[in-house]
Amino acid sequence: MIKILEMIKQQAFAARSLTESIVAFTEFARSHGMNIGVQETRDALSSAACGLLANRDQFRSALQAIFCHSPQEIRLFEKLFHLYWDTNPIDLHETRSQTSVSGKMEKRTNASLVMLGMANTDNKKEDAKDITGASDEERLKKTDFSKLGTMETGILAEIALKLFHQMALRLRRRMKDNLLGGQINLRRTIRRSIGYGGEPIDLLRKTQRPKKTRLIVLLDVSGSMDKYSYFLLLFICALREHFRQLEAFVFSTVLIRISKALSHGRVDQVLSIISDQADNWSGGTRIGSSLQQFNEKYGREMLNGSPTIIILSDGLDTGSPELLSIELKKMKRRSKRIIWLNPLKGSRGYKPTAGGMQAALPELDEFMSANNLQCLIELENILADA
Amino acid sequence: MAHSFENPTQIVEALDRSQYVAEEEFATALFLLLRLHKPLLVEGPPGVGKTEIAPVLAALLDTELIRLQCYEGLDVNAAVYEWNYQKQLLGIRLQEGSGLSIEEKEKHIFGHEYLLERPLLRSIMAKTKPPVLLIDELDRSDEEFEAFLLELLSAFQISIPEMGTIRAKHKPFVILTSNRTRELSDALKRRCLYHWIDYPGLEKEMKIVKKHLPAIEESLLVQIVNEVQKLRQRKLIKTPGVSETIDWAESLLALGYRELNTVAFDKTLGCILKSAEDISQVKKERADIML
Repeated sequence: MIKILEMIKQQAFAARSLTESIVAFTEFARSHGMNIGVQETRDALSSAACGLLANRDQFRSALQAIFCHSPQEIRLFEKLFHLYWDTNPIDLHETRSQTSVSGKMEKRTNASLVMLGMANTDNKKEDAKDITGASDEERLKKTDFSKLGTMETGILAEIALKLFHQMALRLRRRMKDNLLGGQINLRRTIRRSIGYGGEPIDLLRKTQRPKKTRLIVLLDVSGSMDKYSYFLLLFICALREHFRQLEAFVFSTVLIRISKALSHGRVDQVLSIISDQADNWSGGTRIGSSLQQFNEKYGREMLNGSPTIIILSDGLDTGSPELLSIELKKMKRRSKRIIWLNPLKGSRGYKPTAGGMQAALPELDEFMSANNLQCLIELENILADA
Repeated sequence: MAHSFENPTQIVEALDRSQYVAEEEFATALFLLLRLHKPLLVEGPPGVGKTEIAPVLAALLDTELIRLQCYEGLDVNAAVYEWNYQKQLLGIRLQEGSGLSIEEKEKHIFGHEYLLERPLLRSIMAKTKPPVLLIDELDRSDEEFEAFLLELLSAFQISIPEMGTIRAKHKPFVILTSNRTRELSDALKRRCLYHWIDYPGLEKEMKIVKKHLPAIEESLLVQIVNEVQKLRQRKLIKTPGVSETIDWAESLLALGYRELNTVAFDKTLGCILKSAEDISQVKKERADIML
């Protein structure tokens, strides 16, 4: 008891009881962005009642186990705990905004900034206002990727992850429903029922085996695509959740296969692997010769069973359009369809007159824009029956 | 009994006797699990002893361990309960001519003897004392299943339409593990206590290996653990966990090596690196150093 009293004294708190100071701490933590509800507060109080208060470290660990739900939150919690219990409460107000900003900043990784060509941009702390309003979210969804600020990019990346994830989930569900349908196969049902004395217990159905569509994605990562590449890569990762058989490549002048890197982990890991490998990252594009490399090296094993091919590129080609046309024809012959997503198509006044794009157009099944989130999500409908 | 632990320090000591090395932070989380009866979500990289804690805790509490391994496509029938359809049909046949009313027949057919208990149901039907329920690698299951778990984890009850709601007489101690291959839902996380286990530092890892292999010589132990700690700093496809360290030490002991020389290293590298790319990369670099 004496220890506890000492502790309270040390804090020089206005709060009258220990209960009040714990509740005040939960409020403090909540105001700094930790996701804590009434239940957590109650748990914190009952943990105090369990006798965990006598030892400072145990008390901290207990609150940590109750309040935190991810490694990031643990880091934030450690700061907050120290700030609240070890400093004079009078100083708290000034440091407040500072911590919430730094907590947010940690989430973003350097790799994504480099990829966006924004590594050198200043992060102004005043911009750190959280955009959570529904209308803001809608606005961001329709904003061209290339016109985003640094702060917005981070927010949009989070929204994108959420939406892409939902999309992948929807696609998966649709497939599962299809599996359930089908007519009853009477012959086999009756045959099976003999074992149960003639009761048709297992209803066997005639269904078509679900066709496993394979998806091949080719992403242009040349300089002109800089601002788009990161989101498109996020998108590819999400697609991977649905299409187990997804092969992904990035190209500028050379073609690199990233399927394996994708299956191992997260976007940021993929980004660093790509940037490790690609020497001429963000240089000029030679789409034709990249597709040629694809056909020569992987065409034989991948272009069977009619996969769907998605090409993500702005079509600003420095190579010869003839080659592009020839290679696309080759691919078309062995695939179900070719979808070309062009970020530039969304911008006003764009016409596919660039040499490469014009050569490619006759071979494409779909030619769509991909400059904002909305466009990417709309792709779902095309892919659902892919 | 669970209530014999008065503070986390006692748990650390008890775990230590059971060959499990834990810091006080983890012990505090376990202490709260026992006191507050809230599920504990343990996350961390593979091979750091997340799953291991469940059997150890069950042994400490002298209670049953019920384990549910999650996988993609895991559904209610495999995790909670299923009716034994064949037996039910036979039951119907046997009752023909017994003169029972329809209601009686139905009650009989949907009785406990026709119910196949799966791990989750079993965990709340314990008769004498609360069991430890391990839900392993939850991140592998589908979101749908995660949502289903919510009822169990917050109210410790399961609804079976034909029988009604079954409430736990003894609330199980639930431990969930996840490798973070995907983010778990917020709703689930908020019902759990949370602990993150990371790769251990040099001293802790040596202590762990020593616990498992008391016969190991100090010099070999230092060499092995040092080497593993170095490997973990690198960018590998599969970073070795503590279990790999133990495997490696065990193999070296079994082969009779008393120190980690180049031959021993090359021969046993497969114990610790589980990917062809990693092995060839590490071997190549070692060869380069030799030259």
